[in-house]
Amino acid sequence: MLKNKAFEGVLEKIKNLVGSEHFRDSCEERLCYSYDATLDEAIPDAIVFPCSAEEIAQIMVWANECRMPVVPRGAGTGLSGGSVPVKGGLVLCLCRLNRIIEINRDDFYTVVEPGVITQTLSDTVAKAGLMYPPDPSSMKTSTIGGNVAENAGGLRGLKYGVTKDYVMGMEVVTPTGEILKTGTRTVKTATGYNLTQLFTGSEGTLGIITNVILKLIPAPEHKESVLAIFADMNHAAQTVADVIRAGVLPATLEFLDNITINAVEDFKHIGLPRDAGAVLLIETDGVKEAAVKEISRVEEICRKNGARSVNKAKDEKERDTLWQARRAALSALARVRPTTILEDATVPRSRVPDMVRGVNAIAQKYNIRIGNFGHAGDGNLHPTILTDERDKEEFARVQKAIEEIFDLALFLGGTISGEHGIGSTKARFMPKEVGDVGVRVMRALKRALDPNNILNPGKMFVQD
Amino acid sequence: MNFIPEREEDIIRCMKCGNCQNTCPVYTVTMMESKVARGRIRLIKAVMKGELELTDDVQESLLTCLQCDACRVTCPPGVPVNDLMLEAKAAMFKKGKALPENTDRIRMNIKEQSNPFTQPKAERGAWLPPELKKPRPAKYLLHAGCAISYAQSRIGKAVIRILQQAGVDFTLLGDSEECCGDPLIRMGDMAQAEEQIARNKAAWRELGVEYVVTPCAGCFKALKEHYADTITPLHVSQLFAQLISDGKLKFSKPLSKKVIYFDGCDIGRHSGVYEEPREVLKAIPALTLLEFPMNREEAVCCGGPLLGSYPDLAKKIASERVREAQNLGADILVVACPTCLLNLKEGANEAGIRMDIQDLNALVIRAL
Repeated sequence: MLKNKAFEGVLEKIKNLVGSEHFRDSCEERLCYSYDATLDEAIPDAIVFPCSAEEIAQIMVWANECRMPVVPRGAGTGLSGGSVPVKGGLVLCLCRLNRIIEINRDDFYTVVEPGVITQTLSDTVAKAGLMYPPDPSSMKTSTIGGNVAENAGGLRGLKYGVTKDYVMGMEVVTPTGEILKTGTRTVKTATGYNLTQLFTGSEGTLGIITNVILKLIPAPEHKESVLAIFADMNHAAQTVADVIRAGVLPATLEFLDNITINAVEDFKHIGLPRDAGAVLLIETDGVKEAAVKEISRVEEICRKNGARSVNKAKDEKERDTLWQARRAALSALARVRPTTILEDATVPRSRVPDMVRGVNAIAQKYNIRIGNFGHAGDGNLHPTILTDERDKEEFARVQKAIEEIFDLALFLGGTISGEHGIGSTKARFMPKEVGDVGVRVMRALKRALDPNNILNPGKMFVQD
Repeated sequence: MNFIPEREEDIIRCMKCGNCQNTCPVYTVTMMESKVARGRIRLIKAVMKGELELTDDVQESLLTCLQCDACRVTCPPGVPVNDLMLEAKAAMFKKGKALPENTDRIRMNIKEQSNPFTQPKAERGAWLPPELKKPRPAKYLLHAGCAISYAQSRIGKAVIRILQQAGVDFTLLGDSEECCGDPLIRMGDMAQAEEQIARNKAAWRELGVEYVVTPCAGCFKALKEHYADTITPLHVSQLFAQLISDGKLKFSKPLSKKVIYFDGCDIGRHSGVYEEPREVLKAIPALTLLEFPMNREEAVCCGGPLLGSYPDLAKKIASERVREAQNLGADILVVACPTCLLNLKEGANEAGIRMDIQDLNALVIRAL
């Protein structure tokens, strides 16, 4: 496992700076920091676990001197290769920066370090009667820093938005080793460029986040849940459209297609009808009277659209039962074949049926299996490709299918990534969505902040 | 290297999602990717594909796996991590990779004295009253296990008193009792483990034993997994629950305490015994039973299996569990496994946490 000799000196200095217990360069550890949750892998020269913005700033100054790539990393749960060190260099792991610095109950914000696990933050603010709404499926493991860097979404996107809607400000170490503070603790600010949003979703290419000010909201006092089964996907889609047109904004509006339903049945035997076209899991929340009234409206709309069954949870235990199928979706699909590829192509919600039909046609054309589930309320589907990476011929078909799925999403007015980011896995598709001008502007921003292109190089843009 | 090629599919199945991080007690305290299932699986793959040799670091990564199997429960594709790790450890041992010194010392002690401690085999039954020192044919055999025979005979004595009071006719092997083989399996010495298992089975067959009862959760797991063709394994909590329901075991003294039950991995996740220890505790008058938020199948390991080989790591993990019990307002933390008991006490001492940590049998004796 070769190492870049040009970095030996600087890595030694970095090791002395942070202490040898916070530095690793054995072959074994380098392999263990070569991946995220995609199939992409690349071996770094070393891994460092700094404990402050000052240490990170010093590391960046030194890294610039020898043009060493630096790749920020949280828990390594990303789904687009964002933390994979594709150009080698140093993986900068932020897990030691894991303090919740402040929870402000008067002004509804929290200040946290990037290594805080999202679930920990959510649980901690809940104890204060507050809510941090973004809830990516990885939240028990993924970190706030990673969530902000990738602009992670979740199940509550339709009503509550995604990570970017909660980032008020941050402290960032720039690629050249300066410490920058952006944003404010105020609801409103109109001071200069919105740098906070520039760094949000920048996938660790523009700066290293060392703390974040996040907006909190009062926790809703009540939840209602309904599971509706439809014979036909179009009826489910019509239900989604009608619910929103009726002025109801569900906190959760999740969807499972027929392939996913069957995978769930094979795995858990919940009792879902195998011939069902789609299942919707819908939740309303807020003031009790409002949530109850809204869920009745939802039930009514489900029935009007010919739902085969509409089950409302009477208590927390029943709610848990209704969630069984949705919770099991990924596990069920992941057990069908050895390799699972989870995409996140997203369309305007009215185009969800077109998208599902189109994905099914693509699956048929390339003779591969794709399950669809996800966040129907915000059009963010997870076409989940079930394959075997060892079968080269099939895998080539999978690659073609993925490209067609992206083309389809764009044709329907959507995006190639709803919540996973571009990283290394989708870099070659990005020009399709943002165009040449878009790429040029983004690259200009990157160059302005990172003249030596050392911070997470090889991401978003095909050529660096 | 030809290294467990038949496990390739399990390795491919790992989605590298990282879900195992939040359930792995070793990762929680080390925060190192080589100390969690995802990293361990990647290292096994590296050896399998010839990217790495069986280095000391690969070995440490595998040997620090607690085999607690918590990650399998939340693994989306359900990779059988426990089986995979055991097989990798066994293959590593078979290929002649020498174990680290302290682990090998444990192995050699079992080989020579049939216990993992530096204790003589001839003194195994020293704790027993004279009338129980000699084995005799019986339906029930009480297998005390190494930890209880050599380090925690108080638990063994409690079990004997409880069984006698309930009128159970049982025997023990005394000095001729041997290690169940579980520690050997954990370190990958399958050949020696198989020898142990064969010797134990022969001894029990000779006495016509039907049920082997044990207060040790580690032995109980081994009995379930490797002895079920010869005897019916019972953890003492299962027998006690039955005796309580049959009216043969009655509690007269109340225990007005908040007690939290810790699901050890060997009795819990590995063996599926969750309710019987709780039933026994609930039968004690005035006792209030508390629960860890992560309980039963989701319970988090105390780190006990690493106490002999990686004691600092084991104690650090244990102190987290004790602290949690304290924060939940428990007066007593109760376990049904001598390894959990020892390790949780060590962890509490190390971290300076004052907590009353008891074995289930001690509570039962107190309430009789």
